[in-house]
Amino acid sequence: MKWRSGLIQEWATSTGNYLWSGWGSLASLCLFMAIWTLTAQGFGPLILPTPLEALSTLARLFQAGEAGPEILITARRALAGFGLSVAVGSLLGLAAGVSLTASMMARPIITVLVGMPPIAWLILALLWFGAGDGTPIFTVFIACFPIIFVGAMQGTRTLDGQLKEVAQMFGLSTWMKLTDVYLPHVVSYLFPAWIAALGMSWKIVVMAELLSTEDGIGAALAVSRSHLDTAASMAWIVALVGTLLAIEYLLLEPLKRKVESWRTL
Amino acid sequence: MMKKIDAFWRSTVTIWLCPFRPFFLLTASHALLAMGYWLGALVGVLPMPDLPGGAVLWHAHELIFGFAGASIAGFLLTAIIEFTGAPPVHPGTVKILLALWFAGRLAYALSGLLGVIPAALFDLAFLLLLIALIAGPLWRDTSRRHLAFFHALSALTVSHAGFYLALWRQEDAMPWLLLAVSLLMILIIIALSGISMRLVNDVLAAQGGIAAPYLARPPRRNLAIFSIAAYSASEFLLPGNATTGWLALAAAASVFNLLNDWHVGRALLQRWVMIPYLVYWCMALGYATIGFGLLSGGNFNSAGHHLLLVGALGLSILIVMAVAGRMHSGYGLDHRRWLPLAAGLLLSAGVFRAAASLGNAYIPLLHGAATLWLLAWGIYLVYSWKVLSGPRPDGHAGCDEALTNPQT
Repeated sequence: MKWRSGLIQEWATSTGNYLWSGWGSLASLCLFMAIWTLTAQGFGPLILPTPLEALSTLARLFQAGEAGPEILITARRALAGFGLSVAVGSLLGLAAGVSLTASMMARPIITVLVGMPPIAWLILALLWFGAGDGTPIFTVFIACFPIIFVGAMQGTRTLDGQLKEVAQMFGLSTWMKLTDVYLPHVVSYLFPAWIAALGMSWKIVVMAELLSTEDGIGAALAVSRSHLDTAASMAWIVALVGTLLAIEYLLLEPLKRKVESWRTL
Repeated sequence: MMKKIDAFWRSTVTIWLCPFRPFFLLTASHALLAMGYWLGALVGVLPMPDLPGGAVLWHAHELIFGFAGASIAGFLLTAIIEFTGAPPVHPGTVKILLALWFAGRLAYALSGLLGVIPAALFDLAFLLLLIALIAGPLWRDTSRRHLAFFHALSALTVSHAGFYLALWRQEDAMPWLLLAVSLLMILIIIALSGISMRLVNDVLAAQGGIAAPYLARPPRRNLAIFSIAAYSASEFLLPGNATTGWLALAAAASVFNLLNDWHVGRALLQRWVMIPYLVYWCMALGYATIGFGLLSGGNFNSAGHHLLLVGALGLSILIVMAVAGRMHSGYGLDHRRWLPLAAGLLLSAGVFRAAASLGNAYIPLLHGAATLWLLAWGIYLVYSWKVLSGPRPDGHAGCDEALTNPQT
């Protein structure tokens, strides 16, 4: 029981320290807000509203019940596309990494996929799926897929052969080999790829929505643009970036720390 | 008669053992005198000082440049010598510095009659002489690690000169004093990072079993100094602007960020660690209050600035004088209860004063804050009088430290 309470205390301390270190990021964000305010004051509200105007517009959108559902719709699409590419990309990437032949074959295809601009995929998706959930989800999936695939493949390819032999010599069970030797190494490649892909998925989904759907943050941006409503456009952008920041710093960064501390141990 | 005067002078000889001794005594005395007069004037017992720029400006100026100025002189003349290993300042020079400080106080109090020029000359001469005294050792030090003190003090002198120039031209001199407030906060961060690192590590070592020693990290400190400087420049150039509000929030967040280094477990509860820790809390809350005021359209400037001055500045001067004042007089650290009590009174004074500006009970809270402040410095003076004015217990001369560490 004692070690458990010690563990809980350690976890609470490290979480507290992590959350407290957020003040540094907050300070930088406030400095950014100051520059934004100064610029906005120079250009006027039609060109660039101040952060306070954008935030108050966003608060009004939330109060009117407009912002919540749109954000949820966008989040659903982005996460669906992202989840799909995590599942498919990781599995295929791991598989490709195991065999040298498969990696050789995969490389040019990945180059093609990475080189293809997401907007081109969007046009194809519009033709295939029409105006609905399918188009943004597919575009997100296909844009994130190569990033995750390459991460997974490199993780497997760079496994230390000597470590494998050591594990063999000590007669480690397959399960132990997997969890203690292979997985920590592969995850250290896979995880940054996932984080990069998640950031990308948010940008892609809004672009896809802007051109293909009638709901979601992207569609709301299209509407506010057509009304020349800079404050509302800025409010939606703030909502988008705010959600991304929250996911990044409250979900992924702590997870990454956890994974990395596991690796160093 | 002459014999009596002679005997009195001989009895004061121990005051001049080390430069900080007369200055720390003056700091606490001026805290009592300047605030006592202000409280008397607020209550209506004493006349409001009728001086150029008005009574509020006098109050702010005396506590920023009189009270804090004396403590800075005492601290720097001792600390810079210790940091750089330079020869001690000659007692005669200390007496000149002291005379300039006195003349400055007197001339400002009489500026209704004399005009502001005599006060300006004395006060600026005081700061320039202080800079001249520390500049040599700071520049001769090969590592030049402590030049930040020189820069901060020079900036403080410029803001003081600006203050007098504005006063002479009959313009609003308050922005120059607000500039000085931020410079004092920067000076606190520079000074505390070195002192606190030692105090915290001493406490940790005394408790035993430290995992990692406490380090005041330069990048965090630089971010805080940059944010405060940016806020200060914006407050000066764009008063009341939302940009200034965001920069105040940035300053608050960056000061909170400094506290990352301070969460060292139970050692935090030790007074040597807790009081500097509270200094940063007051500083962060002060800037946050100003920032929220500017962004929400309310005017919380006075509340915020008083948290900075009464809370952060008051507490940091108290802890520095209580620790350095005793250690460099040959005494060990003081474990008696008066220090936490005085710190608690100062903290309450800061909270009361901020609450006075924010709430509805302006007058009683204002008077309460001044009373708490007077109590705190009164206690300090009672318990430190002998330490600062009497002979050292080890019979030595000079500023050498007593060889003791804080105990748990």
